[in-house]
Amino acid sequence: MINHFIPKNLSEALDILSNHDCYIIAGGTDLMVQKHRSSGLLPTFEKDVLYISNLEELNFIRSDDKGVHIGATTKYRDISSSELVPQLFKDVISELASPNIRNMATLAGNIGNASPAGDTLVALYVLDAYLVLQNKESKREILVKDFIKGVRKIDRKPDEMITEIVIPHHDLHYYWKKVGSRAAESISKLSFLGAYITKEGIIKDLRIGFGSVSITVVRNRDIEKQYIGLKIDEFSQQIPEIIRKYDEIINPITDQRSTKDYRKKVAMNLLKDFLTKIK
Amino acid sequence: MKINFVINKHNVTVDVDPSMRLLDVIRNELHLTGTKEGCGEGSCGACTVLVDNIPYDSCLTPIANVIGKEVMTIEGIRESKEYNVIADAFAKMGGSQCGFCTPGMIIATYALLQSNPHPTDEEIKVALSGNLCRCTGYQGIINSVRLASQKGEKND
Repeated sequence: MINHFIPKNLSEALDILSNHDCYIIAGGTDLMVQKHRSSGLLPTFEKDVLYISNLEELNFIRSDDKGVHIGATTKYRDISSSELVPQLFKDVISELASPNIRNMATLAGNIGNASPAGDTLVALYVLDAYLVLQNKESKREILVKDFIKGVRKIDRKPDEMITEIVIPHHDLHYYWKKVGSRAAESISKLSFLGAYITKEGIIKDLRIGFGSVSITVVRNRDIEKQYIGLKIDEFSQQIPEIIRKYDEIINPITDQRSTKDYRKKVAMNLLKDFLTKIK
Repeated sequence: MKINFVINKHNVTVDVDPSMRLLDVIRNELHLTGTKEGCGEGSCGACTVLVDNIPYDSCLTPIANVIGKEVMTIEGIRESKEYNVIADAFAKMGGSQCGFCTPGMIIATYALLQSNPHPTDEEIKVALSGNLCRCTGYQGIINSVRLASQKGEKND
């Protein structure tokens, strides 16, 4: 017997989670597909379900010195129209799924779903975004990169839920590219986000993320760090070496959307294009 | 579980499983069959309805998510003066052939013109990018939306 819970507020939701292992549904755009069987039949949830879409307490966007805070039930539609949200993030959302899905779906849901092709994840890794997870007693913060453990594997305990996402403020120049079969509604073949800051001819920050080329987003801080502090002309000479280093760690697979050869080739071409545009 | 919401401006109570898709409630419980099921996975837009005036894929929406909300299907839209302008434009410009995508296309058009009465062609393409059509090749649909936008202006 499956229970369905429709809490009226956050505290009621956390009470329920303290006693029941639940699927948490916000917009439903991932879970309702994964659990769907056939037209007219109910979805097959094998454990209890908690519906949080209408929890207004978690529907917010606000900014403070830590960054932009986005609530767990805030829809992409509202994120992309908010003046508080960085343009980089809006660019990523504008290419995500379709208008209807952007009207329904949440950022917290995209993170909780932990798909290797999750479009927002590349940006969240590159921007060092973190989550607030809450249970009945306490809250904890965790970087998105540490929260996602693998394909659809996350570091959420059964009594916890994501209550907000925090995107730290930044001054990064960025280079974002999603590669898919068509402009709307495509699941990425791969995605690439490069970001940097230069000041007085010196590389002050460098961040590189690849999506859909591994089980999780690929971002390697050890490689990035080696080039921060270089003068731009020194950096330009290092580009072949940087490309070699990523060539060793990018190992995509072939699946129904693309082949490993195509993904690898395009990922390396985008990396090269980004690196040569840094000025 | 008893679920209350508003459909096409009428209060309604259905006694269904909270995970039931809004699409199945609309078609099988309320017998409003204007809303179509195409892909059943949020890719085609044939099942588009308005929830509090915002276009949703009803195939991805558990009925629990619309408690207390206002749902509008093509049957409700048909009662509006905007519908006549949009439907007329689709008929004149060849925006509908087999008709299966048409309810979703009309609702997407209605929502677009409500928020942006004078869209550019690019804005029309983005607004309809979640609605697939196997017949028209889209040009007839884009022409229809453009005509509806111009006609609507004259009727204001």
